[in-house]
Amino acid sequence: MTSQDPVTPARHVREMLLGSDAVAHGVRLCRPAVVSAYPITPQTHIIETLSEMVDRGELPAEFIKVESEMSAIAACLGAVSAGVRAFTATSSQGLAMMHEILHWVAGARLPLVMVNANRALGAPWNIWADQSDSLSQRDTGWLQLYGETAQEALDGVIIAYRVTEALRVPVMVMLDGFIGSHTMEPLFIPDPGLVDDYLPPYTPVDYLDPDNPLTLCAATAPDSFYELKKGHARAMERAFDVLDKTFAEFGDRFGRRYAAVETAGTDDAEILVLSTGALTGTVRVALDRLRRQGVPAGLLKLRLVRPFPRWQLRHLLTGRRRVIVLNRAVSYGAGGILTQELRAACCGMADAPAIHDVIVSLGGKEVYPETIEEIVVRADELSPDESVWRP
Amino acid sequence: METLQFDDLIAPADIREYPVSLTTTEANLTGSWKFSRPRQAKKTAPCRDACPLGVDIADWLHLLVRGERDAALHRLRAVNPLPASTGRVCPQFCRRACTRRDHDAAVRSGALERYIGDYGLGVPFPVPASATGWSVAVIGSGPAGLAAAASLAAAGVAVTVYEREAAPGGMLRCGIPAYRLPKEILAREIDNLVISLGIQLCCNVPVDDRMLAELLGEHAFVLAAPGLGGSPLPAGIGAGPGVYRGLELLRRLAAGEVLPGDRFAVIGGGNAAIDAARSLVRHGRQATIIYRRGIEEMPAYPEERREALEEGVEIRLGTIVAAARGVDGGRVELDLHEALRAADGTVSTGSFSDRLTVDGLVAAIGQKASWQPESHKRLLTAGDFHHGPASVAEALAGGRRAALEMLRRRGMAREPAVGPAEIAANPAALAVLAPQPGVDPPRVPHRERRNSFREVCGPLSAEEALQEAARCLRCGTCTACGLCWFFCPDQAVVIDQRGVEPVVRFDYDHCKGCGLCAASCPRGVIDMEEDS
Repeated sequence: MTSQDPVTPARHVREMLLGSDAVAHGVRLCRPAVVSAYPITPQTHIIETLSEMVDRGELPAEFIKVESEMSAIAACLGAVSAGVRAFTATSSQGLAMMHEILHWVAGARLPLVMVNANRALGAPWNIWADQSDSLSQRDTGWLQLYGETAQEALDGVIIAYRVTEALRVPVMVMLDGFIGSHTMEPLFIPDPGLVDDYLPPYTPVDYLDPDNPLTLCAATAPDSFYELKKGHARAMERAFDVLDKTFAEFGDRFGRRYAAVETAGTDDAEILVLSTGALTGTVRVALDRLRRQGVPAGLLKLRLVRPFPRWQLRHLLTGRRRVIVLNRAVSYGAGGILTQELRAACCGMADAPAIHDVIVSLGGKEVYPETIEEIVVRADELSPDESVWRP
Repeated sequence: METLQFDDLIAPADIREYPVSLTTTEANLTGSWKFSRPRQAKKTAPCRDACPLGVDIADWLHLLVRGERDAALHRLRAVNPLPASTGRVCPQFCRRACTRRDHDAAVRSGALERYIGDYGLGVPFPVPASATGWSVAVIGSGPAGLAAAASLAAAGVAVTVYEREAAPGGMLRCGIPAYRLPKEILAREIDNLVISLGIQLCCNVPVDDRMLAELLGEHAFVLAAPGLGGSPLPAGIGAGPGVYRGLELLRRLAAGEVLPGDRFAVIGGGNAAIDAARSLVRHGRQATIIYRRGIEEMPAYPEERREALEEGVEIRLGTIVAAARGVDGGRVELDLHEALRAADGTVSTGSFSDRLTVDGLVAAIGQKASWQPESHKRLLTAGDFHHGPASVAEALAGGRRAALEMLRRRGMAREPAVGPAEIAANPAALAVLAPQPGVDPPRVPHRERRNSFREVCGPLSAEEALQEAARCLRCGTCTACGLCWFFCPDQAVVIDQRGVEPVVRFDYDHCKGCGLCAASCPRGVIDMEEDS
């Protein structure tokens, strides 16, 4: 399934907008009570637009200005601890600076949504699309959702609030820097009433309340600590089911159907290409051309990286000859991060396909359809044991 | 996800799914960890401490804000019986001490005092206490004499005031020009005071040693507050045509006398010199002030100095008039010399610098006592006569002090002393308050001022007065503003709303003694003390 125009005439406004503005509209529709963020390219437009919405009264939220991303996420941690819906957005070094508090929000099992505009981490200095920032935070306990289009980011924010409030696991929604954030596309902006029905006002439990003082996240003895972490792991397992149902309900109400792993042309394909984010659009063009040349290769578009949809992927990989994983982030000394994830998922699988690790782009290095075509056509020459870097 | 089936060490009932305590944590007395505790204490506001009279400015302003205008007036007049006058001429030591001074603007206490004082011109003083049966004679109806008379009369003492001039007021009437204090305002304020408190006022009665002896025979006490006599002339300057003493000049101008000539020189740097120069300008004369030191060293109030310059008064600094001679046509020729500054700050006459011919020379260089009565244990003194030239506020304070001393000697209870007290101050905490500078009262433009004795400064409207009064933080008084509640990380500040006015309490069971409440209190009423 891919994102598509509404099948039912859902109430919406159609507008041509920047990806960052699309995210801001998604956030506005979710009515957070607190927004706190610090500007960083290529995310800045998101919070600029939100601050203007707050200023104009379109979003009745408290916009907390801070002096760093560390404080932004800390302010959001405070807000959600006090029992309100909150939002922040960041990118790259900003996300890295939040690292310590990312653990804290997740460990506290607080519902929070953040948008990260994927951008390279320095050094050297680079502001373009790269997934090193979010993938290096994959062990912080957040749910990670990646999107191909600005529409997926807008819808992803709305879906993320439903998921985070159901599971009490924070959700990070990814949008590619510049390719997603700074280009315009025609968007469906859902009717506020429709979103209100889908996402009712947040009713907190166990929040900071002077009339019923509780201790949140107190020092915890080893046995209790272990149990709490077991609970977090269980919540991540439940996330697959919760996300499936949330996607399905979203599809019914808004007409756009999403899944943790989306596919195209996989039915007859021996070769699959696994992609994430905006790169998927390029892959679609390349695979269409290859199919016309008689090379049937299929697309696996991975939307969910945490929790990693291992059973779904194993099912989709069954009977294939090879799968090419296109990486925009590297764990140095171990190869592409998504490749490692997929390999771990397939470990012990009978007749597993060859998994090719391709480092297709870092720091915004351009990827053309020809690049993908060549990789697929020459896949036989690639060793499944080595990372493949482009010349 | 699988779990190994052991006997769980932690039963599901013992733990929540999230890291949240099972029950309220109020039972955990975290206050036992502290080594210091906050204590709330009423303190003296810096403005009250700075006021020679010790007026509790925050107190009467608060009454005004609450809409209790009469109560505010009576609270103020119980200490300062002449607010319409002092609201115009007091140098406002209070404003210099105001906590808001460096935040936005000091509370305009003078303009507010004038506002309430003008209202009070038509409001009698409260009925005095029942008669005590003893009496006091007061010599002089200046601020010191009137303050003493008011305090004594309010306490039920029979008071007779003797004034050598034709009308009461002392320096307020003779020394302060009408453009600062209109004569009719002063007259109405004194009339109201004298009549509603039943004070006997005898004008045109100078008191000499013989009469003083009689007064001491008739009264329990006599207060001598006759002010000072005329200014001496500086060395090298003799009396003669065209040579005036400062106060004499003001008195003659106020009486409507037309002095000959166009150009006048005024020697001195105090308020009397400025008053003389500004009055001359208003009579169409040119006035040059000659002062031996720098402009910042002039004892005159800076505002007066600034207004004088605006009105066209020339000020020559670092200059000494070494000699003055009468010349043809009744004019006066002055030898101007440079003033030499010694390392210790003293000034001596240097070399000749200029010659100036003027139509009149005014010496406004301080006054001296012209009467030395023999001391007597029932003769008290106050005002300029007691301490030398000083402000109206200091004169009022001296008179009031003398009255309280008499009451004390007669065994009548006196109110508690104001100081020494803890002064409330925490300007750093103001950072959280939005600046709110308020508005200054209107002033007549200087071009218009030069031709008239019309009052320079206008009044605040009732609305402006309320807004301005509301700017008073009430330093030293807890207003339950809630900043400490906001900053307390332990929810240990409790704002008790049960009474008429909310009260701040501390929950010492949960206060960890961090001190943020004390650091955040803009009124400085919270101290941290060691916890035993």
